[in-house]
Parts: sequence; C-alpha cells; structure tokens
Amino acid sequence: MIRFNDVNKWFGANHVLKDINLHIQPGEAVVICGPSGSGKSTLIRCINQLEPIQKGEIFVDNIQVNKRATNLTRLRSQIGFVFQQFNLYPHLSVLENVVLSPIKVKKIARREAEENARELLERVGIPDKADDYPSQLSGGQCQRVAIARGLAMNPKVMLFDEPTSALDPEMIKEVLDVMVELAVEGMTMIVVTHEMGFAREVAHRVFFMDEGQIVESNAPDAFFDHPAHERTKAFLSKIITHN
Amino acid sequence: MYAFYFKSLIHSLPLFFKGLWITILVSGISLVAGTVLGIICGIFRTVKRWGLSRIMGAYADYMRGVPFLVHIFIIYFILPEVGIQLEPFPAAAIALTIYAGAYISEIVAAGILSVPRGQREAATAYGLNAFQQMRHIVFPQAFKVILPPLVGEYVLLIKDSSIVSVIGLTDVTRVGWLTVQRIPEGIMVFGLVGILYFVICYPLIHLSHILEKKVSYDAQ
Repeated sequence: MIRFNDVNKWFGANHVLKDINLHIQPGEAVVICGPSGSGKSTLIRCINQLEPIQKGEIFVDNIQVNKRATNLTRLRSQIGFVFQQFNLYPHLSVLENVVLSPIKVKKIARREAEENARELLERVGIPDKADDYPSQLSGGQCQRVAIARGLAMNPKVMLFDEPTSALDPEMIKEVLDVMVELAVEGMTMIVVTHEMGFAREVAHRVFFMDEGQIVESNAPDAFFDHPAHERTKAFLSKIITHN
Repeated sequence: MYAFYFKSLIHSLPLFFKGLWITILVSGISLVAGTVLGIICGIFRTVKRWGLSRIMGAYADYMRGVPFLVHIFIIYFILPEVGIQLEPFPAAAIALTIYAGAYISEIVAAGILSVPRGQREAATAYGLNAFQQMRHIVFPQAFKVILPPLVGEYVLLIKDSSIVSVIGLTDVTRVGWLTVQRIPEGIMVFGLVGILYFVICYPLIHLSHILEKKVSYDAQ
C-alpha cells in the first residue's frame, strides 16, 4: 500500500530523512515513535507530499507520489491526514468542515456529502455538534471532527501526526477510542504517537525513529519487551518511567 | 459684512453640493476599482513565484515613496507627452485607484499572511487547489483581519481625493478655492468644506471602530 525506497530528505543542510525503506500492507496499522526532531512527522508528511523529498521514491497504492506527472489532488483525496493542532477551518461549521473537500474535490452532491458527514460524526461520537463551530468544541471533539473530515474522503490510508499531543489528558482517550475502532475495522493507518498503550493494543508494527533513520521495527510486544537497539531502550526507559 | 458673506455662502451651497458629489463620485469609483486592484495585487504579493511578490512590492514602494501630488502630476501632465491625454475626471480616478490599490494590496497581503500556515496545509492535504484554498479557506479568514484597516483606508482615500483639485477637477475642495475668491472669509468657506468631508468620513471611521472591536472580540 505504501512503499518507501531509499528516501532522503534535507531541510537546507539538515539531513532529516536518511535512506528510509519501508513497506506497509493494506489494512496494517503502524505506529511511529521516537524523540522529537527524529523525523517522524516529516516522514508521514512526505506521503501526501506536504513535504517534497530530494532523493528516493514513495509509492502509494503503486502510484509514485514524488513525480511531476502525478495528480496530487487525486492522490491526496485518497489519504486522510489528521494534524496535531487539528487545523479545522474555524470559519466553517463542523458539518461544512467535513463536507468541503468531498463537494469541492470529489464533486459529490451536497446532500449525499452531508448525509455521509452526519453518519461519520455519529461514528466519532458527536452527532449533535454538526452545526457548531470549532471554537465551541473541546480539543478532543475537534480532533474527532478532524478524523471525520479525513474519513469523509473515503481514504485508502489515514495518517495521524501526533493526534493526541495537543490534548488535555482527559480527552486523549475519546480520540484514541475512535482510532482503535478504525484500526480494528481494518483501516490502513500510520500513526505518529507516544501513546504506547495504543501501540500495544492495535498496532501491527512499531517503528522507532532517531536522527532521521528507522532504527528498529517490530511487532509491538517484541518491540516493547525486547528492544534490540540501545537507542530504543534508552527512549523506552524514558517514556515508561514517566507512566 | 459677516452676515452678508454668510448669506452669499448659503446661496453658493448648491455649488458645494455639486463639488461634494464629484468628490463622492471620484473617490467612490476609485474606492471600488482600488479595492479590486488591491485584492488582486495583495494576493499576488503573497505568491512566491514568477517574481510576482517583488513586482507588487515595487508597486507599493513606488506609491509609498512618491507624494500623491507628484503622482497625479505624472498621470495628468506627463502621460500626454507619450500621447495619453486624459480629462481631469478620469485622470483623477485613475490616479486615486492606483494610489488606493497599492495601500490596499499591503493590507490584503498582511491579512492573507495572518492566516495560520496549518490552514493551508489542511486544505492542501484535503486536495483543494490553490484557487479553492484562497476562495474557501484563506480569504474568508483573512477578510476579518482586512476589513477594519480597509475601511480606514477608504477614509484616507476620500480625504486625499481633495488633492485632485490641483488638476482642475471641481471637487468640493476646488469649490472652496473658487468660492473664497468671491467670499474672502477663509475660515467660513473652508470650515464648510471641512464639515462636508467630515460628514462623509465620520460614519466610515465609526464603522472601522466597530469592525475592529468585533474582530478583537471574535479572536478571544
């Protein structure tokens, strides 16, 4: 479903992704963790070309994304993206946030799009907020709207960039619950997060990134119980001692 | 004597209203045209391609660095040298439009840049093209920031339109000049001119204040 072949990226002289190779199967849920500045967010932002790469190839569903000829609009409409800061459109109601791209990009009829949007809001547990504005919602509710907005495009993949990092502790669970449900239903997803409970519960694989490289990748139990690499051990000990 | 002058001034009132109408007309036309020009140039100002941003910057710098009086002389007296002869009214309207457009483009560009980067990123990630992003996401949010200073700019435009009297357009300021030659009471004549400007500008100043308050309230 998603394949990286020797992907390299620089921000100026800063080498942020170094020879990344990975292959994610349809229906797989992958968690990427690692210290801040390790390139996790950059990695998933390259998948829908929010960030260009300088070397290597990225394929989504056998279409090479880093090629001039690729129809980025079409590609992006197949990839849901959830941001750390939600990035909901503050001047539009919740419902409008969800239907905008289906109507404008996928050219779906408004009625159908709204029906679908209401179903999705129901699914993320906030059917009664359709006519509210983002400023009237809590952080957890905002992030669930953002997930609904992603799902409204009926994507093949969902990408999550630290979806719970901007949330108050009591709201993290309501967002994770929605994500767990998605994973269980078989959505292909890549989640950048430090929520190790989530990783253990639903991830098929966990990647550990440091200094622009994927240092280690393994099934969650093996990853957490027997980390192979020193850097992984150091990182996990820091996270776990605080939990 | 004073009473006599006052009476003649009252008799001249229709002339003042005619002048006021010209002022409203010339500033109204350049206000609309300048807004359109300013929005287009303001959007171009934020485009980092084809040198658009630089060209628009140079335009704004020209307008900021050259006095409006000189600018209007350039349009009215120098363009005929290259074969473009304009009547005072269109010359004044064009000069004011170019003038307002430059300042409005700065206001619009600042408004667009005030929209958080994440908004464009989200819109990009969800497949909206550059035009759709501007139309549905960026501009509606920028508009709130743009509106109060924009209305303030309209006030400046109306007041600065008084300068077009130098090229012979009979706006309300020029009516004042002509009248003061018959009625040598400067305070009285230009007091009236001032009041007429104030009457059209004040509601706009007030509107700008209201909008500013509303925007800062929304931001909370």
